[in-house]
Amino acid sequence: MVDALVQREEELTGPAVATATGGMRGRLASVAMTLAGLMLLTFMMGRLLPNDPVLAVTGSEVDKETYDRVFKQLGLDQPVWRQFVSYVGNVLTGDFGNSLTTGQPVLKDLLAVFPATMELALVAMTVGIALGVPLGVVAAANKGRIVDHVARIVGLAGHSVPIFWLGLIGLLVFYSKLRWVAASGRIDVLNEGLVAPVTGLLLIDAMIARDWDVFRDALAHIILPGAILGYYSVAYISRMTRSFMLEQLSQEYVVAARAKGVSRRKMIWGHAFRNIRVQLLTVLALTFSGLIEGAVLIETVFGWPGLGQYLTRGLTMNDMNVVMGSVLLTGLLVVAINTVCDRLYRILDPRTR
Amino acid sequence: MRKRLVAVIIAAAVMAGVSSRAASPPNALVIGTTLSAVPSLDPAAINARTPSEVLSNLYDNLVEIPPDDLTAIKPMLAEKWVISDDKRTITLTIRKGATFSSGNAVTAEDAAWTIQRAVKMGAVGAADIMLWGFTKDNVEALVQASDGQTLVIKLPQKVAIDLVLHSLAGASLGIIDKQTALKQEVNGDLAQGWLKSNSAGSGPYKLTQWRPNDILLCDARADYWRGAPAMKRVVMRHIPESGNLRLQVEAGDVDVGQYMASGDVEALEAKGASVDPGPGLGFYYIAMNMQDPDLAKPLVRQAFQHILDWKALTATTMKYNGFAWQSIIPKGMPGAPTGEPAGYEYNPAKAKALLAQAGYPNGLKKTLHPSGAPLLKMAVALQASAKEAGIEFDVIPGEHVPAYRARKYQVLVGNSGSRLPDPFGTLSQYAYNPDNRDEAKLGGYYLWRSAQDAPELTKLVDESKSETDPAKRKALFEKIDADFKAMNPPIIIVMQRLDPYVMRKGVSGYVGHPTWSTRWFNVKKS
Repeated sequence: MVDALVQREEELTGPAVATATGGMRGRLASVAMTLAGLMLLTFMMGRLLPNDPVLAVTGSEVDKETYDRVFKQLGLDQPVWRQFVSYVGNVLTGDFGNSLTTGQPVLKDLLAVFPATMELALVAMTVGIALGVPLGVVAAANKGRIVDHVARIVGLAGHSVPIFWLGLIGLLVFYSKLRWVAASGRIDVLNEGLVAPVTGLLLIDAMIARDWDVFRDALAHIILPGAILGYYSVAYISRMTRSFMLEQLSQEYVVAARAKGVSRRKMIWGHAFRNIRVQLLTVLALTFSGLIEGAVLIETVFGWPGLGQYLTRGLTMNDMNVVMGSVLLTGLLVVAINTVCDRLYRILDPRTR
Repeated sequence: MRKRLVAVIIAAAVMAGVSSRAASPPNALVIGTTLSAVPSLDPAAINARTPSEVLSNLYDNLVEIPPDDLTAIKPMLAEKWVISDDKRTITLTIRKGATFSSGNAVTAEDAAWTIQRAVKMGAVGAADIMLWGFTKDNVEALVQASDGQTLVIKLPQKVAIDLVLHSLAGASLGIIDKQTALKQEVNGDLAQGWLKSNSAGSGPYKLTQWRPNDILLCDARADYWRGAPAMKRVVMRHIPESGNLRLQVEAGDVDVGQYMASGDVEALEAKGASVDPGPGLGFYYIAMNMQDPDLAKPLVRQAFQHILDWKALTATTMKYNGFAWQSIIPKGMPGAPTGEPAGYEYNPAKAKALLAQAGYPNGLKKTLHPSGAPLLKMAVALQASAKEAGIEFDVIPGEHVPAYRARKYQVLVGNSGSRLPDPFGTLSQYAYNPDNRDEAKLGGYYLWRSAQDAPELTKLVDESKSETDPAKRKALFEKIDADFKAMNPPIIIVMQRLDPYVMRKGVSGYVGHPTWSTRWFNVKKS
């Protein structure tokens, strides 16, 4: 596990700093190419899966007449290339089609599930950073000592214990025994619809409306899945932070600064840590993308109405409009995160301007 | 400023932490279920279990079948009905005083329009009523309101009247408020777009909110014609993880748990929750493709009758999913066997001997598909117990119904369901195959899926549809069941399905319906 992480460190730190070049036009073209490629790939994947979209609509016990009728209604009697062309044409006009399993327009579904996943990933990210970064820094500063070993064990436990199991144990302790948190969904039925959606993120919307009951309720729902998902990312963040810090702490400027009388604390946080911010940003961006894509299991355990569950269900039911819509949205998000990161590199590291 | 914000968040977190969470309110019913397969709330567009339950509470039917006696047909919106001497016309009288949630009175015209609409749409919800010969072209002439309170249904072919009434009791023919629906019609879509996510029924509840994969809320109607139900609100929450649902039932946050794993049901029962076993009108079975030359041999199929240790299965991992059963007629129905099921005992030595006799002294190797993820545990159990008999199965997990319907498999374990509370419902699935050719593509029939030609059985099933004499029907069903078993069928029934409903202490009146028309009207909480 550790070897794998270290190997990824090397792969990731290289290209990250060297980005942020090229004109706006080039970037737009590359985004368009990426999304077009994604569409083609997911469309082909859908054709290769052994599932039958007609049965997703009709149920498995259907007679031939109904089956044939739905087959035609879904346009499956058309050649594959024509189905693809007509899908792309519709997407360009903002029509992602209807979901076979929810019966709603995919765009409407995505606007409901995406903020749920985004909010969960943001809380997880906050937990991941709040625990992972200090853990990595402290481990590096105390390399080889007991603190370092403990940090490694704590971090790796989060990564290696199945998230599904952690979820159930968390529920048993914090929901069943202590009654501190809620068990499923985003909010209690009694608080449904009390706060007008502004951002779609319930915690933020409740704060805007200054409705603290709703805020507490939303927090009680999100805190456990968010914390567990966050803990999962702690291993990666802390190991990478530790490795970046070790590299900095072995530099000559550190020895020089210490010799000049700079305190150890200031040395670590004020000098060495400042120098790893760009590398760390890359790691955090990748972690965040991973959390968005990887929240499936935690969403299932906690009945969280998010993108992960929506996409998985779409895949198993061969609901291709759902799969393609979700993949496109995730693709867009990853591109957006990369773009924001590029901007941030320029702020944090003058050499990349 | 930043410090203050952090302080607010921490304080809120602590407050949230120490707040004790309330159990579900006394006048609200909270059902933990799976809402991922609810594509529509239009009665004519659905046939699955969860939407059937929801619709049975938003829409009333002309007649209803009590869950504890599937042979009784009781009045609902139709207070009485008369059958003509030639048994080809049913005249139903619609009760006065029943209203839709819009306030409109329920009339015979609403009922006629509902049936006509379902047949014209031709979606899955109309499958049952269309079995009796109604088509888009004849339905308007055959189903008509002769006045405000009288609905006349003429049958296009000779059919047992009970079968027709049974289909009128199904959730897909809940009576729709024609006036309200047509106000929402777009481009002649018969209000399909609107009814997908809105209700226009005369049931005790109306739909308040529905978010796919998340939550469904229904509020009680104080003006319901049978009186207001005790539960003012019913909440269905999407809780797909059985372990999580178990904790919520235990804590009292959820009143009724559905789709739970056997282990969790057992644990809750041990802690005092009550379990409605929920017998369903379907079976668990092993299917063989007769296009495979090995499986086409009767002795091989006979050997397969003795390779699953179903006793162990029904006592452990599938304890709450099914009970031992070997007939294609559900338990308790006319023609169903009485007494303990016998014939398909687990006997690896006997299976081995039969295989040797068929020319396979060294056993057989076949692929085994579960029809979907929930059937994997049965596939694995079969794999283990069949090994003793010298049959090696290569289990391929996944959703394999499409392959099954296309005859592209060797051996499969699957399960079925039916909403028609009559042996005809299951017999038309299991013992019917009007055309065994590949190009017929009759994927709806299990015998076609198994490539088993059965002209005699098919004829008998057709006869049972039109036979109106109960004693003769019963005799026909018995014969079909016996003939089916005698041909060493490529479908071996091992269990009848159960869909358990777990109720926490204090919840009463919730009775899971075998046809999935579960009604909440009588539910109470103490």
